[in-house]
Amino acid sequence: MSSSPYPTHCRPVLCRKTVLALATVCSLFIGNSALAGPMGFKDSTMFMGDFSSNWREASANYAVTPRDALGMSTLYMRNDDKTLTREMAELTYTRLLKRWNFPSAQLNIWLPVGAGEIRGNDFSDRRTVFTPGLQMDFETQRIYFATNYRAYRAEDINHDFSSVRSGFSFYETGYNETQPWLIVEARRMHDLSDETEITPMLRFINKRYFVELGYSSTDEARFNIMYIF
Amino acid sequence: MKTLKLIMATTALSFFSLLASAEPTTKTTIFTVNGMVCAFCAQGIEKKLAKLPQTQAVYVSLEEKIVAVEARSGQAVDANLVTAEIKDAGYDVSKVETVDGSVAAIKQSMENKKTAENKK
Repeated sequence: MSSSPYPTHCRPVLCRKTVLALATVCSLFIGNSALAGPMGFKDSTMFMGDFSSNWREASANYAVTPRDALGMSTLYMRNDDKTLTREMAELTYTRLLKRWNFPSAQLNIWLPVGAGEIRGNDFSDRRTVFTPGLQMDFETQRIYFATNYRAYRAEDINHDFSSVRSGFSFYETGYNETQPWLIVEARRMHDLSDETEITPMLRFINKRYFVELGYSSTDEARFNIMYIF
Repeated sequence: MKTLKLIMATTALSFFSLLASAEPTTKTTIFTVNGMVCAFCAQGIEKKLAKLPQTQAVYVSLEEKIVAVEARSGQAVDANLVTAEIKDAGYDVSKVETVDGSVAAIKQSMENKKTAENKK
């Protein structure tokens, strides 16, 4: 499943085709809203990618205000024994519900929502999917903690996703230096996986990019990236 | 002869002193910023401030939690505008002060301080 998860025989509905085409183009570049803050500063575009063999997500959004971002996302997910797959594309809206800026820390609460289409290899039609979620993250220059919940709801589908991430930076760095972190994530996908996947990751943060490399308890390599401009 | 030399020296000193005082002193406005913990997120501040027409140079220090903005020659930093831009980038300004010196000098001073602390 390394190729684009979207079918080439889309129904001739302009908006659907357009959404899928744009989302597929984005997937060439981009990730997951749970990595860090799921949007950038006002007037910025952020690309995000979260890739492993059972979970491939690519997304992008544009911050129309300091608190609101509009974007699109594509996601391929597969169950533990690799028999059940889900492919979806959606338009997304991300809202920064609340931010607390402290002298040496920041705490955020985010509301990511999306609407699009989902396909599965165990049903023939395309279904409308809604993906409301909630994310909270706390960060200092040395400590990071985040928790994320996202519901993937369509007809007869209830794949609620939840994750917790925590970690620390090995040392403080200057603004122009690359900062290394050790992050551990636990995530779970309801009704698609019975396992809680634990992934230790090395994170590298630079001004322009944000990269994570890890290997999970389910024997999957993991690559996450965020890029902002 | 001695008196003449003294008069000439005094005149020269006065002249150079006048010249020096006529030169505009470089001023930099320093904003202390709350919530600035990550370079990836804080880059928005640098980008937005660098685009302002009166900006000569910008310096961001995560360690000191400051953003220093130097104005172009003959212009002044609009502290209210810069504060609004920093807020738009997602942060809060807790203190604003203007100091003599360029951004380059402040950056050098911060780096010297960091080097000295690392040696301890």
